[in-house]
Amino acid sequence: MNNWQFAFQMLLGGIPLILGVTFISFVLMVYFGPDLTFELLGKNPSAEDISQIRHLLGYDQSFWTRYFNYLQELVTLDFGMSMMKDQPVADMLKLAIPVSLLLMIPGFILGNILAIALAIKAVQFRGQWRDKTIMTFSVVGMSISFLVVIIVFQISLSSSYGLDWFPVRGWEIFTADGDFDGVRYLSYVTVPTLATVFVAVGYNTRFYRAVLVEELNKGYITTAKAYGHKPSQVMYKYILKNAMIPIITRVMFSIPLVVISGSLLIESYFGIPGIGLVTYDAIIAGDQPVLKAVVGLTSVLFVLVLIMAELLYRVFDPRMGKVST
Amino acid sequence: MICLFKAPYLMKLNQLLLFLFLGLLSACQQQDNNDGNMNHEAQVDKKIYRHSEDGKPTSLDPIKASTIYSNLMAVNIFDTLYAYKYLKRPYELKPNLATQMPTISDDGLTYTIEIKPNVYFTPHASFAGGLGREVKAKDFVYSIKRSFDPANGGTGAWLWQGKILGIDQWKADGANYDQVIEGLKALDDYTIQIKLTQPYPQLIYTLAMGFSAITPREVVESLGQEFGSKPIGSGPFILTSFNSETAYLIKNQDFRAEPLDIYFEGYDPAKHKSYGLESLQGKNAPFIDELEVHFINESSSRWHSFTKGNEIQYTTVPKDKQNAVILQHDPILVHPQISKNYHYTYGTEAGFVYHGFNMDDPTFGMRGDEEHDKNSHALRCAIRKAHNWSQKNRAFYFGLGQVFPGIIPPSVPEFDPNLSTESIELDIEGAKTLLAEHGWNNDTLPEFEYHVTGSVLQKQFYEQMRGFLNKIGYPSNLIKYKPYPSFGQFNKAIKNRQSPFFFLGWTLDYPDAENTLQLFYGPNQTPGSNNFNYSNPAFDQLFEQSSTMLPSPQRTALYRQMNQMVIDDCVVISGLARNKINLWHKNVITFPDREIVGGFHLRYVDIKQ
Amino acid sequence: MNHQATYKAQPSHDLWFRAGQQLISDKLGILGATIVLLFLFITIGVWLGLWGQNWSETSDFFNQSPSLRHWFGTNAIGQDIASRGIYATKVAFEVGLLVAVCASLLGTLVGAVAGFKNNTWLDSSLLWLMGVIDSIPFYLFVAAIAYAMKGFIFSMHMAMILVFWTETARVIRGEVIKLNQLEFIESAVAMGQSQIKILLKHIIPNVSHLLIIQSTLIFVAAIKSEVILSFLGLGVKDGISWGLMIAESTNDIQAGYFLNFFVASGLLFILVIGFNLFSDALQDALDPKLQK
Repeated sequence: MNNWQFAFQMLLGGIPLILGVTFISFVLMVYFGPDLTFELLGKNPSAEDISQIRHLLGYDQSFWTRYFNYLQELVTLDFGMSMMKDQPVADMLKLAIPVSLLLMIPGFILGNILAIALAIKAVQFRGQWRDKTIMTFSVVGMSISFLVVIIVFQISLSSSYGLDWFPVRGWEIFTADGDFDGVRYLSYVTVPTLATVFVAVGYNTRFYRAVLVEELNKGYITTAKAYGHKPSQVMYKYILKNAMIPIITRVMFSIPLVVISGSLLIESYFGIPGIGLVTYDAIIAGDQPVLKAVVGLTSVLFVLVLIMAELLYRVFDPRMGKVST
Repeated sequence: MICLFKAPYLMKLNQLLLFLFLGLLSACQQQDNNDGNMNHEAQVDKKIYRHSEDGKPTSLDPIKASTIYSNLMAVNIFDTLYAYKYLKRPYELKPNLATQMPTISDDGLTYTIEIKPNVYFTPHASFAGGLGREVKAKDFVYSIKRSFDPANGGTGAWLWQGKILGIDQWKADGANYDQVIEGLKALDDYTIQIKLTQPYPQLIYTLAMGFSAITPREVVESLGQEFGSKPIGSGPFILTSFNSETAYLIKNQDFRAEPLDIYFEGYDPAKHKSYGLESLQGKNAPFIDELEVHFINESSSRWHSFTKGNEIQYTTVPKDKQNAVILQHDPILVHPQISKNYHYTYGTEAGFVYHGFNMDDPTFGMRGDEEHDKNSHALRCAIRKAHNWSQKNRAFYFGLGQVFPGIIPPSVPEFDPNLSTESIELDIEGAKTLLAEHGWNNDTLPEFEYHVTGSVLQKQFYEQMRGFLNKIGYPSNLIKYKPYPSFGQFNKAIKNRQSPFFFLGWTLDYPDAENTLQLFYGPNQTPGSNNFNYSNPAFDQLFEQSSTMLPSPQRTALYRQMNQMVIDDCVVISGLARNKINLWHKNVITFPDREIVGGFHLRYVDIKQ
Repeated sequence: MNHQATYKAQPSHDLWFRAGQQLISDKLGILGATIVLLFLFITIGVWLGLWGQNWSETSDFFNQSPSLRHWFGTNAIGQDIASRGIYATKVAFEVGLLVAVCASLLGTLVGAVAGFKNNTWLDSSLLWLMGVIDSIPFYLFVAAIAYAMKGFIFSMHMAMILVFWTETARVIRGEVIKLNQLEFIESAVAMGQSQIKILLKHIIPNVSHLLIIQSTLIFVAAIKSEVILSFLGLGVKDGISWGLMIAESTNDIQAGYFLNFFVASGLLFILVIGFNLFSDALQDALDPKLQK
């Protein structure tokens, strides 16, 4: 079976996944999600007003009608209007998703690269003070609350109480003519990125170090060295390559979170209108059209990531492919 | 060890990262300078004012303007018939789109209001020729009707239902906008007539609320629900874009030219002299070219943005920054550094926070059984005596809150400064005696559920309340924390009478104590606004009697009588009116007030150049 | 590559014995174990009512500095921060440890089954299940499970376990599939060893460190999620946790009070580092190459 056939098969396999995710999350939203009725009512409503609102919100339709409408919306990518914002959901997402991507990607990439680099360093000096230092710092990164990290970075780098180098809030990355301005972009993205990296590196280094140590212990490394391969070659050719499976798993499965969930805390502290805030506002307000869109898109993206991950596994470890034939 | 190898590629990787990192930093530093220059240049030709609020609006459709944030946006994008005077306190209305105060018939039932001619909506494609058309009396009629159309999901109908003649029937008949309502008519292009079923002295206040703002029918019909995110009105500002963080507005160039008369608006040199408002005299509002409203929940972020200098120019002082701003309480004195850099005002909110009991609760409420009602009354009063307002005030409001007895807050003219403070005094011995007298002890005391919206702050409120109750011998294991995931869920539980005790706040819609007294009116029981499900025929009778009365000492006496009833029945532990400090940059000329005046002050903001 | 066949195929009792010896001689490992045991001791003391019992008492003394009466001062409503930190240790064990252990066990089990049954319908269904769980927004899922099991005291634990096991399962599944190819497993299968035996003897030792790392990550995640769940009405209601203290402290910090933050973050940090030191030592001990 070649990779294309494999991908196709995976895509077909993705359909039940999407159905499962949408169904379960829809059940959750319908039965356990916030009920908007009383938020949308005026101050002295009658029983009649209440039933009118429920009708307007579609709460009086049968479960299956609502679910099939949802699937239809997912296929046509038309999620209707946000209940709270009176804005087409598609418009809201179109504006917010690119913002979140631009905001999160640098931190995501740097966080992983830096963690791998640190993990390599730690492994290289395994058991020595450098290793211990790196590990201690990664545990610090894990133990400190993200919120506190954000506040500290904001005060020290952006505010007038600190270095005052970057803007505190905002996301005006386009010039008056609507062109993308790289310099402005850097000024807005740097501090959020540093905060993200600080926290992500903690978790990632911890994980990658363990993965690398595992590979290092395997017999073939000694053999490779005995055969006269250079240490750098060993690191590149064997260790990193073999460690790729868990690394890919970790990296790939965090992608949907980056794209769809964004980072609520980063966005609200730095005043960046991304998808994290849109989702949070929707959860808090019980804005089902928005929630449905976000959940639906997450599951679709997740299926794509799953396929990509399986394909990459085959690239890095051809034996996995062999098993499947 | 098997891995002591040198790794030259690693050095490269590290160097690369370091390089990237440094590059990033230096690029940004450079950028910072550029940005500063750009801002500077921009300010020469354009006046931009960056306002901030601590919450965000949802829809911008005026019929959904139920929060102060939505209301702020609505009154700046749309026109209302009346508005509050800019500087006058206590609050006083003035004509806005109306030419003068309404003509009211002798029986108080018919209001006739003239509106100004030559006022235009801002341009939109659905107007003939794309240019804004003139605002007519029929637009007002249409705008009020929209609140009663079940398809719209408006939240303001309670202001007029049962009060404007025929409007409820209009809704029952299917909400046909072409059908004329007896009580709400456009007599001609510039004359509105409102007929009431009974005198309603508060009507005029409702005409200064965002709910009654004037919307153009063509645009609403062409946009449908989307009107709430693309509003078109005739107000001083035009919305250009709006996201979850910021609303960007520009000046409405065609806003009616009306020279500002600061003396008419209530200018008082003793109070307003230092703010530079005199320079606005005789000029036409709005004075700024662009208005940005930043919605910032996070107080630390808001504070740092404010103190940055080139970002937001106005903020209220967040709780956790009060010790950095305030040097001394009572009289309030701010830190010299703050008063040197910023202008400030200080005032009590038009509202208050309170704890309430659900009087319908089988344990804490009343159920008509005399013995039980007497004991539950004692229990409620004992809990009220246990409540330590001063400790709460210091822990959560930096000691700046104003604690007052009863439900008529200091912000309304009917407030009674001489009312006995017994109901807000800590009296642990009294509470213990009361409990003992009525047979409440560890075996008989009921489980006390504290219902809240889940958050750190609410949990601290709960823990403090538990501490208060422990002091009168209420054991901890009987005091339960019951959080809800969202305010909506919490509110639903209250409306379904599932919450025996709750902590809530009330923000006044207009400066008249009727607005808080109606919270205790029997027929308003949940799902109405009477969350206490308080039902006292004597109270209801007085409420009905006073509701048709114009402001007068007689009406105030009735109000105070009702207030006393609520206090005597131990329905609420009330209340505390929070104090707010407003700060703004020295180059901004303004006198901000986020209370009843809402967003009306934004049109008078100016920037010194 | 023939040499792979010899890899960790030695008798396991020998391996565990030598690992034990190795562990004892590792000073940092001992330190890690001591830290964990110390926290366990604190927890038992709280359970027995020996200390940390006045964590909820409020007073009129807000935001006090450390004193003899209050070792780490008081918080915004006058509660003793030291007592709260100590009492919260119990919650950390009750929530974090329980969730970490159960989620790891569940993940190992499911991952191993899926790995052994690779490319069968069972594997596909399990993968489907993991995919579904991973794609649903975390808080929506957890809140719904906990809500559905309302009244059950372990509802929050169950909810977190049901969410957190998937990553472990994926890692284990991948390892099992990889190891399954290796000849020593093939020969073990040929010798008629049962799959459970193979799992315990050959696979678990090979992934033990990943499991431990994964567990510490789950531990931290559980402690941090507990706060939000407690706001949803699902977490610890009549208690205090480090997560909650950290959440409280974000308000304090801006007003210039850091004690809440230091105590809660510090305790969390020490316990996590204790786990990590111990797990590293364990990993070294289990590593045949490093054994003398």
